[in-house]
Amino acid sequence: MAPYQFRMVNMVGTPLDVLPYVRGIQMVLSGYEGYTKGRRRDADLAIREELKRCGTRVRNHLLNVHDSAFREKKIDISKSAKACCNTIDLLIEDIDKSPTGMNHAFFSGQRSASVSVLKKLIKHDHDVIEMMTKAVNISNSVEHAFSSDKTDDEVKSLIRQCEQMITSSRGYYGARTTVLDGLRQKKKV
Amino acid sequence: MTTNFKWRSNPNIVARLVDGNDIQTWKSKQVVLKPNEACAFIIDGRIGDIVSEKVVSNIGGGLGRHIADMIGATATDRRMLFAMTGPLDLWIPFAANLSDGSEASGHMNLRIQMRKEDIPKLLNIFANRAPLLDRDGLIGVLGHEVITRCIVPAMAKCSGIEELRSAEFQELLEMHAEVEMRQTLSTLGFTFLRAFISTSKTDQEKVARLKADLDFATKTEGANADALMERIVFREAATLRRIECEVNVERAKKHGEVTIQAESELLELRKQEAVWEAELNRDQGQSDLRMKESSHKTTQAMDLFEQVQARKRDRIQQSQEHQDQRMDKQNDVQVKMMEMAANQGALTPEVMQEFLRQQTAQKAIDGTDSQAPTPPPVAAVCQQCQAAMMPEWKACPHCGSTR
Repeated sequence: MAPYQFRMVNMVGTPLDVLPYVRGIQMVLSGYEGYTKGRRRDADLAIREELKRCGTRVRNHLLNVHDSAFREKKIDISKSAKACCNTIDLLIEDIDKSPTGMNHAFFSGQRSASVSVLKKLIKHDHDVIEMMTKAVNISNSVEHAFSSDKTDDEVKSLIRQCEQMITSSRGYYGARTTVLDGLRQKKKV
Repeated sequence: MTTNFKWRSNPNIVARLVDGNDIQTWKSKQVVLKPNEACAFIIDGRIGDIVSEKVVSNIGGGLGRHIADMIGATATDRRMLFAMTGPLDLWIPFAANLSDGSEASGHMNLRIQMRKEDIPKLLNIFANRAPLLDRDGLIGVLGHEVITRCIVPAMAKCSGIEELRSAEFQELLEMHAEVEMRQTLSTLGFTFLRAFISTSKTDQEKVARLKADLDFATKTEGANADALMERIVFREAATLRRIECEVNVERAKKHGEVTIQAESELLELRKQEAVWEAELNRDQGQSDLRMKESSHKTTQAMDLFEQVQARKRDRIQQSQEHQDQRMDKQNDVQVKMMEMAANQGALTPEVMQEFLRQQTAQKAIDGTDSQAPTPPPVAAVCQQCQAAMMPEWKACPHCGSTR
């Protein structure tokens, strides 16, 4: 096992109570089987790649809107789209530079993720992917609204909804570190 | 036994295309990819896996790979495309004219990032360049287009230096750069993040800066002069105050000395005064005593005088009474004589005339009797000069000798 490989201690198969979440993730990420032994780090990378891909999709939609709005001198819409793109960049950077968990030496004093933590992680990943999927849908709606006869205010409203969803996803994803650390969350955002 | 392969020896290196066949070492090489590094494998002309956050072992070298190459059991062409996936800043120098004709120069910051899945697009760069891409090389690739497409048009719309420094201009420039550079950056595998310009001082700003510096220097000099004058005033006030204090101290000293001297003199004067007062009292007492004695003598003299006068008045009274009685008796006698003469018929005018003559003579005699005759003063002789002098004189008017 590679030194940076994610490792779970006891979780050999997928627990039944997180099976619905695994199935939900499999809807968007084929081949995902949960954090099963031997594929745990791959699963983690797959989740993060999926989140980044979702973010990139949202960003591409909004960039189309941004470019079109700028060329049509609709600076307000362009500014809103740019602000949302900046938020997406921050989210992608957070995902890119987030911790994955790692092996520890037996006497290191640190502990690896337990089964309960991994179960929480699966549910957490499912919720983040769900939020990002919503953000993708909203961004699609933004581009559709901009190309249709929607007013500028409606387009800006949709962009702000998308930005709000991205910001929520970013914040929710930030709790992943806490889940991986095995700390109790006082309140779920 | 493996050793680490370092694909990046300089922070300016952005990407590098490594030919696996060029790694000819006895020991096999491995590479550690950090979270901001990624590697795309190009095996036999095909793009393979793109990995990150991983230790990629046996990327080249080693005896086993050498033997496999010899027997043809490995890929013919193996290339690895390493790249940094973190955001990187490119400072592109520019010089452009504003709409008012003034020139503005500076740098444009272009913050771009390479996503992991976009790393194979770097082949578009390495197809025409050396297999090492650093920031300067990237600026060389992008710089001209950025200046031509973004900076010059944006500057041409900028009316003045104030607009150049405004936040709205930066936002518009960023959006303009994103719109215009998106295609190129996407082709090269980069994602546009942010852009802004940092302009150097223009000529007008240099003039304004010079004016501001001169004004500041003038104000500084003025402030220094004011401070110096104020300091001099304080020093003057302090010096005057010190001199005044010294004068006051000296004056107080002199005053004290004078006071002490005056007090001593006053004390002496008081003593003298007391002596004089005592002497005065004594003299006054003596004078009073003498006055009393003199008064007493005067009183006694007056009393004696009064007694003498009283006796004199008594004597005159007695003499007057005696004379009156005698006059009365004479009158009675004369009346009786007149009556007898009348009775006798002898009262003639000659008798009456004789009678009056005698009566007048008698009154004259009575009058002279009442006044005592004073003896004439006897002249004295001065014992010194033998000159004559009155008896009441106390000193000789000729020689001044006292009697």
